[in-house]
Amino acid sequence: MMDQEHIASAFDRDLEGVLALIMQMGGLVETAISDAARALEMRDTELADQVRRNDKLIDALEEQVASEVARVIAVRAPTAGDLRTVLSVLKISGNLERMGDYAKNLGKRTSVLSEMPAITGTGGALRRMTQLVNVMLKDALDAYIQRDVDLAEDVRQRDSEVDQMYNALFREFLTHMMEDPRNITACMHLHFIAKNVERMGDHVTSICEQVVYLVTGDMPDEDREKQDRTSTDSALGKV
Amino acid sequence: MSKEIKISAQGVDVFYGDTHAIKNVDLEIENKAVTAFIGPSGCGKSTFLRCINRMNDTIDICRVTGDILLEGQDIYAKSVDPVQLRARVGMVFQKPNPFPKSIYDNVAYGPTIHGLAKNKAELDEIVEQSLRRAAIWDEVKDRLHQPGTGLSGGQQQRLCIGRAIATAPEVLLMDEPCSALDPIATAQVEELIDDLRQNYTVVIVTHSMQQAARVSQKTAFFHLGNVVEYGDTNKIFTNPEDSRTESYITGRIG
Repeated sequence: MMDQEHIASAFDRDLEGVLALIMQMGGLVETAISDAARALEMRDTELADQVRRNDKLIDALEEQVASEVARVIAVRAPTAGDLRTVLSVLKISGNLERMGDYAKNLGKRTSVLSEMPAITGTGGALRRMTQLVNVMLKDALDAYIQRDVDLAEDVRQRDSEVDQMYNALFREFLTHMMEDPRNITACMHLHFIAKNVERMGDHVTSICEQVVYLVTGDMPDEDREKQDRTSTDSALGKV
Repeated sequence: MSKEIKISAQGVDVFYGDTHAIKNVDLEIENKAVTAFIGPSGCGKSTFLRCINRMNDTIDICRVTGDILLEGQDIYAKSVDPVQLRARVGMVFQKPNPFPKSIYDNVAYGPTIHGLAKNKAELDEIVEQSLRRAAIWDEVKDRLHQPGTGLSGGQQQRLCIGRAIATAPEVLLMDEPCSALDPIATAQVEELIDDLRQNYTVVIVTHSMQQAARVSQKTAFFHLGNVVEYGDTNKIFTNPEDSRTESYITGRIG
């Protein structure tokens, strides 16, 4: 039924307009994440700086989405599926904006890390984790546009892989720090990076929940299995 | 929590000559709540509303079958006097239609013919109470003997609501009560409707989806003589079950 057009065709244009803004934001965030990961791996401070600068564009788009949504609500008084569309747009733009911030933070830390000796062995795992999150983001946005609940559900489940990768990195950074205290500064930065990528995964999950809400009108009910145990499991600190 | 049912319609069909206007409608209307009927023009919502106080009796070619129970009593039973029924089930129309009489007489007329007041003092009391409940007393108390037709549109409509509640009805039917009113008067009448549900069961037909969403607790969506969906207003306007309801309330071609 959502394929049907509104009698007021300007309403369709309004909704398409905000959805286009979300997709534009999503594209910028995907680029920011992959550029930030590449900058970290290649110690490319110029690319890292570019990621930091480009975050302004993402922030500006979020504001544009917010004002556009406010206008649509005021003018069109959307109901049912239309209402859920504008509400989900608002939430997802918030998720994307946060993800952009994390990518920017990655860029900042890359600038610091490139001044220090490299920590061997963790780069590959971080890259894989970031790639995984980026693919999840792409799939989540595809699921959103196509209103594909199954795909959204699938992406939601994939977040536990990200959590597990974060757990493994957490342990690895601890080991490096215990082995040689001179590693502590770099490992602290790397740990924040890993944590931020893990948080990006949570934001992707929240986008997927919005897909379910948009299509069904209800939030997904059952809690996902949480795999991030670093905050509760003291045994993780024992190496 | 299941609420008390005030009006229960069971298998109701309405025909205008050969035209089948209402098709096998079952509907239970809650006591002391506002129920809204929405739907495109010609969907049968006003026809169904008019069945509830037998206003359709006045149309020769109109035939109603099935049962409509008011507190369990069939209102189409032979023993029921339609005039008495309409004292219990009052009605407010689209266009404010005060009698060409004074404000006071507009309200006093119903209680007088139904013998609800023993003397002038009681009648005065009923008039004041009714006008207070209709949220218009303060505006008219100093000119009760001026003609009702001299009031503004919004005031006239509130006067008509006061007139409708003067006979102490249990149910108030409203057929697009705000469609001839400006936004301020509309807001006043909506505020009044919200107050009225303390004491009355209100059923309102409206073309304004937003009005239905604002004033009602239950909404029924009529389409081509059928009740397509009936449920909590919050649910209907955020996540309706039927795609036809969704198409209609979101302003798509249904």
